[in-house]
Amino acid sequence: MKKNKGKVSSTAEKEFVFEFRAGKHNCVLKVPLQFPVQENISDLHGRLMLLHKIPCFVEIELKTSLSNFIEKETIQDFDREAELALQRLTTGEVDINQLTNAWAKSYAETTLEHARPEEPSWDEDFADVYHELIHSPASDTLLNLEHNYFVSISELISERDMEIKKLLERQAAEMDKVMQELGNTLSDQDVNAAAAQHFEAQQVLENKWASELKQVTGIQKQEYQEWVIKLHQDLQKSNNSSKINEEIKMQPSQLSEVADSGARLYEEQPQLEESFTIHLGAQLKTMHNLRLVRADVLDFCKHRRHGSSGAKLRRLQTALSLYSSSLCGLVLLVDNRVNSYSGIKRDFATVAKECTDFHFPRLEEQLEVVQQVVLYARAQRSSKQKDHFHITLSSAGTAASLCSLMESSACLSQGEFYITRHSNLSEVHVVFHCCVDDNVRSGNITARDPAIMGLRNILKVCCTHDITTITVPLLLVHDMSEEMTIPWCLKRAELVFKCVKGFMMEMASWDGGISRTVQFLVPQVRAECTMCDFWFHNS
Amino acid sequence: MRPLRDAQLGAFTFFASALPHDVCGSNGLPLTPNSIKILGRFQILKTITHPRLCQYVDISRGKHERLVVVAEHYESSLSDFQKQGKTVSPEKVLQIAYEVLEGLDFMNKHGMVHRALSAHNVLMDCKGNIKLAKFGLYHMTDHGADVDFPIGYPSYLAPEVIAQGSFHPSDPSHDEAPLPSGPKTDVWSLGVLLFEMCAGRRLLQNIDISERLKFILTLGNCQTSWRLILCVTNYNCPCALQELPENVLELLRKCLTFHPSKRPTPAELLGDPLFNGVSCLYTPFQKVVSLFSSSLRCAHLELPEDISDLCKDDDEDYLSERAIDEVYHLWCLAGGDLEKELTNKEIIQSKPPVCTLPNFLLEDGESFGQGRDRSFLLDDTTVTLSLCQLRNRLKDVAGEAYYPLLEDEQSSLPQSNSSNELSATVTLPLIIRERDTEYQLIRIILFDRLLKAYPYKKNLVWKEARVDIPPLIRGLAWAALLGIEGDIQAKYDSIDKDTPIPTDRQIEVDIPRCHQYDELLSSPQGHIKFRRVLKAWVVSHPDLVYWQGLDSLCAPFLYLNFNNEALAYACMSAFIPKYLYNFFLKDNSHVIQEYLTVFSQMIAFHDPELSNHLNEIGFIPDLYAIPWFLTMFTHVFPLHKIFHLWDTLLLGNSSFPFCIGVAILQQLRDRLLANGFNECILLFSDLPEIDIEKCVRESINLFCWTPKSATYRQHAQPPKAAGDNGYGKTATYYSSDYQDMPKTDLSREPLALSDLKAEVSPRVSAEDLIDLCELSPGGSTKRTKASKPKIVAVDIRSVEDFSRGHISGSINIPYSTAFGPDGEVLQCPAAGALQNFRGRVIVSVSFSHCQHTAEYFAAHLVKVNFPRVCILDGGINKMKPTGLLTVPSPQI
Repeated sequence: MKKNKGKVSSTAEKEFVFEFRAGKHNCVLKVPLQFPVQENISDLHGRLMLLHKIPCFVEIELKTSLSNFIEKETIQDFDREAELALQRLTTGEVDINQLTNAWAKSYAETTLEHARPEEPSWDEDFADVYHELIHSPASDTLLNLEHNYFVSISELISERDMEIKKLLERQAAEMDKVMQELGNTLSDQDVNAAAAQHFEAQQVLENKWASELKQVTGIQKQEYQEWVIKLHQDLQKSNNSSKINEEIKMQPSQLSEVADSGARLYEEQPQLEESFTIHLGAQLKTMHNLRLVRADVLDFCKHRRHGSSGAKLRRLQTALSLYSSSLCGLVLLVDNRVNSYSGIKRDFATVAKECTDFHFPRLEEQLEVVQQVVLYARAQRSSKQKDHFHITLSSAGTAASLCSLMESSACLSQGEFYITRHSNLSEVHVVFHCCVDDNVRSGNITARDPAIMGLRNILKVCCTHDITTITVPLLLVHDMSEEMTIPWCLKRAELVFKCVKGFMMEMASWDGGISRTVQFLVPQVRAECTMCDFWFHNS
Repeated sequence: MRPLRDAQLGAFTFFASALPHDVCGSNGLPLTPNSIKILGRFQILKTITHPRLCQYVDISRGKHERLVVVAEHYESSLSDFQKQGKTVSPEKVLQIAYEVLEGLDFMNKHGMVHRALSAHNVLMDCKGNIKLAKFGLYHMTDHGADVDFPIGYPSYLAPEVIAQGSFHPSDPSHDEAPLPSGPKTDVWSLGVLLFEMCAGRRLLQNIDISERLKFILTLGNCQTSWRLILCVTNYNCPCALQELPENVLELLRKCLTFHPSKRPTPAELLGDPLFNGVSCLYTPFQKVVSLFSSSLRCAHLELPEDISDLCKDDDEDYLSERAIDEVYHLWCLAGGDLEKELTNKEIIQSKPPVCTLPNFLLEDGESFGQGRDRSFLLDDTTVTLSLCQLRNRLKDVAGEAYYPLLEDEQSSLPQSNSSNELSATVTLPLIIRERDTEYQLIRIILFDRLLKAYPYKKNLVWKEARVDIPPLIRGLAWAALLGIEGDIQAKYDSIDKDTPIPTDRQIEVDIPRCHQYDELLSSPQGHIKFRRVLKAWVVSHPDLVYWQGLDSLCAPFLYLNFNNEALAYACMSAFIPKYLYNFFLKDNSHVIQEYLTVFSQMIAFHDPELSNHLNEIGFIPDLYAIPWFLTMFTHVFPLHKIFHLWDTLLLGNSSFPFCIGVAILQQLRDRLLANGFNECILLFSDLPEIDIEKCVRESINLFCWTPKSATYRQHAQPPKAAGDNGYGKTATYYSSDYQDMPKTDLSREPLALSDLKAEVSPRVSAEDLIDLCELSPGGSTKRTKASKPKIVAVDIRSVEDFSRGHISGSINIPYSTAFGPDGEVLQCPAAGALQNFRGRVIVSVSFSHCQHTAEYFAAHLVKVNFPRVCILDGGINKMKPTGLLTVPSPQI
């Protein structure tokens, strides 16, 4: 950024002259000096003494005269520069208003004294309150309340699923009937019409449920937040909090019963995992934990119903660390559109909706914000590029191409990622949606691949935002296909592992070597033994 | 550093500006974070000591480029006057001006400019003397280039500073860093400050910043700028200014000269006649003479007429008589936490990280959607660090403990009610001792006093260093152990460190790879110092060359003496001949080869099983141990481990490193024994964690078991000329080198390298044998038994030769009968005795002409895992002239 420091431009050579008498000889020492003088004066002095074989009886004299000379000349340089700057103002070369405004701006933007007062933010206040409560005896109540809300959402969802299922069955039966009549009484058009009608009916039903869910979660969130704030106020008001503690304690028992009865069972595959401790660094080693996990990526998001004690502990853990400085993150590989219509994005959205997020906006809202930010970022970029390369948008041609440009600018390119925050996932607070294309599924990617650079940036964000546990898909894919042979897997795993290891070493210089946990995720179907083999070779 | 006295410790914090993402330096390495640059530049401030300047004590890096600076602090400042709204008397104004100028002048002499002068940065101690605070901010931030915020306060900025512009790093339109300001800018700020004092109110406070600055800039149109300020600010009592004495008006006029070329510098102003009435009250500042210099350290010592005056006040606060950095060090040990203190005062406010995440990141790492976090704004309020906890912790330490008597060499620890506790502390692990407040206090005081008496008290320094060395003064303590004396600064200055030499390129490549995890050594200042010290060493040792590894060797000295390159250089120059004599020759192969051979003999001597295994798989020391010894382990361990290792190494002689090497191998013994060649290579390519305290303990143990002459090397440092140190450090068994002993007929003879390599076990000299077997003619020895290895001589000559005369106490196992066909030790009474002596040092003795049989015998014993086997150098023939051989009387 600072290409040439202003000082460089003002270097000048000046000659230092020193005269002394040695016996009958008059000696003159002339030394060209670069100003501003960078080196140490006593060094310079020592070098002169040595180089020019100056007699030692003038040593002190030389030193004082040298330092006086340098001091004088430096002051003169300062004066000249200062006068020049003042002159530029009087001649109008520099606009006084612009100048003073720049000063005022930099004071306002960087110092607390001159900054605009901060508008109170509901989110942060709520964060403080929640963080305090979750670290108090009230945490149990909070969790139970959350669970209670969760159960009611679950019920709604199962009702929805049931209704949609019924609709689909009915429509299938109807369609069968229609198909039988096809060619007899009904034409293709009729079939199409029926199909269209069915589709419409589905849409209506889904929309109905979606809006209902949205409404319910909205209400839940509001109730919850109000309740939390009230509880906090009550706790603060009464110093003898025993009564309230009592009150808090009373609630859960009745809640937990409900909770159990409403539990929906999820089939759960056993997670295979293995942990390692590694020491990174040449001399000073920092310790990090690595974990190899065979699981589905969404397992880290879904709440597990049965075995509720473990699930509850996990929830508590997640809630405790939500506003702390040890967050958990997850890397989700997505395509280049910011939405939740298809594939893993859709699955993730489904999971994210299973439970109300009491702290952060709903996923759709977050994605809308991301879409806007992406557009803004593109606009910023192109205007910057315009500055740099003098490429104007008009050169891009017609309005149509401008349109397509706008279209494409809303898309992500490889290695870019957006971030969503969640309080309602089981083990994750932060999700990095990293854009990858089909190339990572088939081709042989290198360490300079955008997707890998995306990983590096993700780790950097982890550094700057205290995300101490991060889950990364080891093969950069979420599901396996036929062409992914074992050698391919090994090669890919090695690449990702080595790169992540390199980034972690780099991170140590960013944050002073905080111990981290990196979980490498392997899709379900791949034979683990080969992975473990690989593992032992590398760690 | 100055004693604390009535000062307090204060801390303030700020953020360094973040680096642009993904920009590499010109050398292809990642850029140094700005906080590290600042940290490196800060260090020199610790040496700026002047009664008008607040002493800087420490800087620490927090998360996300946060820096916390600790410095001397006082609660009262000039802004107190402003708050009271009182005018200050003209005499006082002159006095304040003079004292501020003294401080500024001293800074300027060290090439620094304050730039942030303001009423609340001019502090006053309890006697009303001025102390300038935050004077180093401009220097440490590279004239403000490494921070986002502008340095200085709007009302006090000099016109030329404003004119040169504010360069906000986030503002892309400015590529250039701001021009550095000269010393005269401070004079303007001082003028504004003094004007405010005279007027009794603050100027331009209620105006918007840009208007304020515009106003200052327009002052140039008027010749007497201060009068203009007067009109504009509606100073309601103009007569008060008119009433000011002429010298104060003159001072204001001079300070508030608009054009910098006409404005005086602090030095010029100090000499101005208007201070005639004030300057006589002040004595010029005398710089404290440091430990290693040519001038007399006690030259300015003035004792009062009556010595008893010194100890008049009994209830003195002894802690505050300690130096500021000591107090801060102890404060940290007593549980002080800077960030916590600042957080409590709400100076550090942090938002939960989950709330500040960005929304979107481009591929190049630029982030979007993240609002500017208010907690990153500058709040430079200084927070006073409470010493209550520390004082409470130390309340039981008796007053005598602060002034230990050094005359009594027997008990160095002070006799107080807590001394029992302390002697108990000595037995605790080093790590715990280094964190024990009370113990460190006692140790620091003791070492401080001993070092003040250096080199007179050299012996005591050695003695105390054997217990431990307090980390705070390790640098000086090491210098004392290495015997540094004389005017090192003058010597260092006279070395040409600037002229390019061919080694420069290699040094340039090595430095950014040497102990860069450390903040100090990775800072640009650290690199500069590194370069200078290394170059100075290379230039001043023309017979030696720069080998890679010298950089690592330099690192601990530079780290400990960061502000004293001369001392770092002197220590390194003293260390290398002692432990690495001729290792840095252009052709050092003979030295290294001999060293490694002796090392492998030492492995065989101490751990035959391991030695056998390593030899079997061909994992020889050449493959792994060269960086160990060439860098004295600085290449393989992080600095904090090197410190503990070298604390002991410096006490030992030049053969101690062998024992460290063996101790490291022994810690990895199980893994080495279980693995083959490839695994071993892999294991040592990235050396696993070593428990350094255990390693030190083990190596001392190994050292005690090693006969001195066993590590004899012909390429070791030749004996020093006797009597070179006047204070006569009494040589102890452990610290003196074998080479330093007077050479006699009984000493070891040099051996050709190929012969040396052929021998599995080390040779010992006849001298050592006599000493260890206590055969000396006098009968009794001076040393106690406990400190010496137990030894047994095994005579492998034939029974007849044995009976003609042998070393008393030796056992006879004729070589021809000793081993069976499979190499096992044959069963015979003598062999049984040998088994009984297992674990002692076994010396194989033979005739000098059949020395090889002794070698074979020793090799055999090593093969069957007999530890501590060695060979008598020169055989029995060497012993004959001594008349110490005994002839057994015939059996009756």
